[in-house]
Amino acid sequence: MEKVIGQAVTRVEDGRLLTGQGKYIGDIGTPANTAHIAILRSTYPHAKIISIDTSEAMNLRGVKGIVTGKDILPYVQPFSVGVSAPVKYYPMAIDKVRYVGEPVAVVVAKNRYIAEDALEKIKVVYESLTPIVDIEKSLEEDAPLLHEHIGFNIANHRTFHYGKVDEAFEEADHIIKHKFHFPKYSATPVETYGMIAQYEESSNQYTIHANFHGPFVIQSVMAGALKIPSNRLRIIVPKDIGGSYGIKAGTFPYIVLCAVVSRIVGCPVKWIEDRQEHLSASSSGTDRVTYIEAAVKEDGKVLGLKMKLIDNVGAYIRAPEPACLYRTHANSTGAYDIPNLMIDAYAIMTNKLPTGLIRGYGGQELYFPLERIMQEIAHQLQLDPADVLRRNLIKKEQFPYQTASGGMYDSGDYEKGFELALDMGNYKEIEQKREDARQRGKLFGVGLACIVEPSGSNMGYITIALTPEERASSLPKSGCAEAATISMDPMGCVNVRISTTPSGQGHETVSAQIVSDVLGIPREQINVVAELDTSTSAWSIASGSYSSRFASLGSSAVFYAAHKVRKKLIKIAAYHLQADEDDLTIENGSIVSKKDPSIKYSLKRAAGSAHWNPLSLPDGMEPGIYETYYYTAKVAEPPDENDLVNSSVTYGFVADMVTVEVDPDTGEVQIIDYFTVHDAGKLLNPLIVDGQIYGGLVHGLGGAMYEELAYDDKGQFLTGSFMDYLCPTAPEIPNITIKHIETPSPLTPLGAKGLGEGNTMSAPAVIANAVNDALKPYGVMIDTLPLSPNRIWNLLNQAKEKKGANQV
Amino acid sequence: MNGEGSLTLEAGLQQSWDILLDPNVLQKCIMGCNKLTQVEENKYKAELAIGIAAVKGKYESTIEIADIENLKSYKLIVKGEGGPGNVEATGVIHLEHQDENHTLLSYTYEAEVGGKVAMVGQRMLSGVAKLIIQDFFKKFGKELKNIEKSA
Repeated sequence: MEKVIGQAVTRVEDGRLLTGQGKYIGDIGTPANTAHIAILRSTYPHAKIISIDTSEAMNLRGVKGIVTGKDILPYVQPFSVGVSAPVKYYPMAIDKVRYVGEPVAVVVAKNRYIAEDALEKIKVVYESLTPIVDIEKSLEEDAPLLHEHIGFNIANHRTFHYGKVDEAFEEADHIIKHKFHFPKYSATPVETYGMIAQYEESSNQYTIHANFHGPFVIQSVMAGALKIPSNRLRIIVPKDIGGSYGIKAGTFPYIVLCAVVSRIVGCPVKWIEDRQEHLSASSSGTDRVTYIEAAVKEDGKVLGLKMKLIDNVGAYIRAPEPACLYRTHANSTGAYDIPNLMIDAYAIMTNKLPTGLIRGYGGQELYFPLERIMQEIAHQLQLDPADVLRRNLIKKEQFPYQTASGGMYDSGDYEKGFELALDMGNYKEIEQKREDARQRGKLFGVGLACIVEPSGSNMGYITIALTPEERASSLPKSGCAEAATISMDPMGCVNVRISTTPSGQGHETVSAQIVSDVLGIPREQINVVAELDTSTSAWSIASGSYSSRFASLGSSAVFYAAHKVRKKLIKIAAYHLQADEDDLTIENGSIVSKKDPSIKYSLKRAAGSAHWNPLSLPDGMEPGIYETYYYTAKVAEPPDENDLVNSSVTYGFVADMVTVEVDPDTGEVQIIDYFTVHDAGKLLNPLIVDGQIYGGLVHGLGGAMYEELAYDDKGQFLTGSFMDYLCPTAPEIPNITIKHIETPSPLTPLGAKGLGEGNTMSAPAVIANAVNDALKPYGVMIDTLPLSPNRIWNLLNQAKEKKGANQV
Repeated sequence: MNGEGSLTLEAGLQQSWDILLDPNVLQKCIMGCNKLTQVEENKYKAELAIGIAAVKGKYESTIEIADIENLKSYKLIVKGEGGPGNVEATGVIHLEHQDENHTLLSYTYEAEVGGKVAMVGQRMLSGVAKLIIQDFFKKFGKELKNIEKSA
């Protein structure tokens, strides 16, 4: 049978999705007497709640109950979070609101229509407080305080010194520095948050159906908030999730809210979030201010970097924040050989929506300043940007490469990948294109970026938020465990149960490919179950579909679980055939002797005897075939006492070259070509790989050009619909050319690395570099996003005015 | 959001002043004002129904008249709270004698909105504000004429 790992096979998920048979949260039934929820949300960014009058709303026919912050207090405690600042975050405002959209009251009614009508009848009296939304102003001494009992707006602050930073800056010929701002933006899955929550008094158990994609570290955070043993919180994830891109980790406060509301009102409740709620009050990426300084030699070689990172985690720091600061800690120096590094990292709170996971998490915030400063080095030293990157890229022979901050890059050939990108984009001929565009009245620009794409997060990395002393007094965290269960029924048919909670990435397809190769069974005959139930599934604290962990970790768990089954089947056959286990292999549904293919034993029979005839099994063997494998990578160690941490397991590589034309009259940016080279190790399914890359790239394009969750300076949220929050749609997607190189990871059994987030991380940087190159004649510096025509036009005009003034 | 404007009223200063401060006239002239009741001197409670973009709803508002300088100027403070969000607006109205039958009215305003109105209506807000204000003075001019006729 031909091997299917690595083949571009079509997805098993698509049949049901394309024929309307997907099972999303909205497709599953509800228990009898389920009521519907609507949430009253704060219209103030910062205010005290003086009173809430629900009497008129309660009188509305069909309203079953109204729950306010004060009502939930007996049943909840604040969510735990991985920083020492004692922030009290509840799923609903108790006595103060801290962002527009924060839940203030929940109406439970016979249907959603009545619940929504009742919202308007609730009267809340607020006493407005001065809001703070600006990242740097939040650090000022007289800044308004969000959490008065803490005394400042800083949730976390750590400083790291790696190598000899001071010496590097003394040795440097030039110090090139700038301040960059990465805006707050979102992921906008087609399916919004949705859940059905039911409390059963008899067992003191909460059962929740929710489109929660993990990570399961948050299951214990939720159980803690609900003040119940964690096995009394059962979360069931439906077969299909309509996209997450990280953002659905933010369902957790709403899961707790709906759970408590079900308990207080005494009936099951259902809530489906609407789009306004999603944009204003679900979760978002983290906006960051970065001060970056590079110590550079005359030839463009970077000796050291200093970075001050200030992350805005919104009104409350909540899990998994401040992870945006640290997820990319190991790869802070990107694809470059820079041994000296200083990082000053802050997570601060302002009156904006709390943040959380988002595709690329931390990567786009890191690479925007890093790749921009690499281009700026070339500009200031009058070098070719490609040469500056070449001079700094980690060389093939340096792998496995240890980064300044403790990362262990497993494999790669960065120079090869980068040169391929330059060839694809015909970089040598670029000046001709610039001239052609000039003749047409357009400004042509080219952008380059090389980034490292981390995948498979080490659960230990988040503890880098604590000092080595604080860590020493708590339980160490490490690993990146993922589980899979494979069973065989008496007829020899295979069921695979995974815990990666896919939200559209095709894990069922790839799992079937892997099991097919290991067990010699056609992939079409393998049934993969992706629904997850925290009470019955094999899962680990690290499970979930985040940090691109399926290809590196999920697939490894499936691979080893399949090998456990294979081993058992071979053992059974060896016993019956009186053969040597080492001589047996599986081919076309049979266990066969390698020496003498006429000696064989059918798989079906081996499986059948495990079920029907357990007394025929070898001594000591358990009946049945049901094997679970828990996989973790050894390299995911806890941070050491010097704050060195390998924050991810595998590290892929992306090299981008982008060409743009800018219309100097309108400021409109047109992307002419987007060339991208990926090295994600061994590809498990190239069809899915390219789909993931397109998706990730378009999300990055959104961040670069269109998307921003905008607030005015008074903290009012301004982008609550798709009219105001612009996402790229099909016509905005440029020509994209993808190529792959494959340097297998030595760490994973299949040699695969995660992917799908790479261009989300690189696109904002490379597009900004291209636009900056186009605007170079005007002396414009791109240091924030998105690159809307408005922003570009203003920059151009300011530059023209300046030029005009100088000439006078 | 802020703005300013001016217009000429076809009435003398005293008459313009009196009518501007007449709550019955106010109720008739404010777009979507269903009810206006006095709670104390120069302070009224009003029910307003206004739609901005896709956000339609009722606001329970207080309208306060402050900083009164007789026959010269006053400040109008409107605070509204309702399903679609909240509104806080301050207008300063200034009257100037032109001749017996004409008075120059100039105004400046500052308005802030919160909640859904800001979320999805921001793009239209300044347009809507202008519309509401222009509508107010159009109706006010009409009222002034009606009163003159009946006088």
